[in-house]
Amino acid sequence: MSLSLDATQLDRYSRHIIMDEIGPEGQARLLDGSVLVIGAGGLGAPVIEYLAAAGVGTIGVADDDIVERSNLQRQVIHTDENVGVPKADSAKQFVNRLNPDVTVETYETRVTPENVEELIDGYDVIVDASDNFPTRYLVNDAARLAGIPIAHGAIYKFEGQITTLVPDGPCYRCLFREAPEPGSVPDCATTGVLGVLPGTVGCIQATEAFKLLLGAGEPLEGRLLFYDAMDMTFETVPYQKDPDCPVCGDDPIDSIDHITYQDGCRVNITSEQ
Amino acid sequence: MDVTVDVVGEDTHELTVDAETTYADLVRETGWSPQEVTVLVDGTPVPEDQRVTVDHVTILRLIKGGSQRA
Repeated sequence: MSLSLDATQLDRYSRHIIMDEIGPEGQARLLDGSVLVIGAGGLGAPVIEYLAAAGVGTIGVADDDIVERSNLQRQVIHTDENVGVPKADSAKQFVNRLNPDVTVETYETRVTPENVEELIDGYDVIVDASDNFPTRYLVNDAARLAGIPIAHGAIYKFEGQITTLVPDGPCYRCLFREAPEPGSVPDCATTGVLGVLPGTVGCIQATEAFKLLLGAGEPLEGRLLFYDAMDMTFETVPYQKDPDCPVCGDDPIDSIDHITYQDGCRVNITSEQ
Repeated sequence: MDVTVDVVGEDTHELTVDAETTYADLVRETGWSPQEVTVLVDGTPVPEDQRVTVDHVTILRLIKGGSQRA
């Protein structure tokens, strides 16, 4: 890790550098850090914005979608001019305008069992800002096998859920063993979502990513933070590592080869034996 | 047996169950579908077809939104 910050960086990051909890060493750690953001939509937009502003050196952006006008009510890094542009490219344009210290790696692809290991390889932290259960389970499983922490967030209408999945803590399957059947849980495109909601939730995810990169503070490990924007309340739900969890329990999987990421995203133990 | 059912982000329900009541029954009693939630006992999910043996459970709804596609 290089501790040499130039004069421009000392100025740009001065509000970090003067804090004992970060200082020049912490800022250098951020500049040397890498975060993969899966999804450059509602949650991903504020995550990318704050990671870039704070000087996280490498930000990966995985998204196969294009910017639509209906996104602009909440996806704050994309603009009217970007309608029709791939979100990953639009995100890169935004970051390039914001902070020249940051390198953006774009992956204009859907995350699949075939590409997930290569996509996440080498990143320090993953931020799950996706919008569907197959991706969430896939990223959980692959990241656990690779030993990479995840800052997880999900939103619905006026509420959000955030938790942090670190390699030696409980994983997403310890909380939600299997995905619900397709169609049983509505999505934002169907029900709508308060425009500012992903900003709040995404900023908490970004906060968790910073803490993981800095090795500071207490991550949301074994705790799910539930946010209700209408009541303006936060509730913490504790959860534990499940010894029967097929991914991180006492008899864990060693690859994702036997998991079908559709329907319930179930781990097919039988076919592993 | 009386059971306190805490639905995260919603109300807390006080329900009386019999020996045959399952966690799925509890979920339905609170107005949700077992498909939409996970039932936690002491912070760990329990199979929803299992009979209720504790006096406090937490119901957490699954949500997935975040992006448009990823």
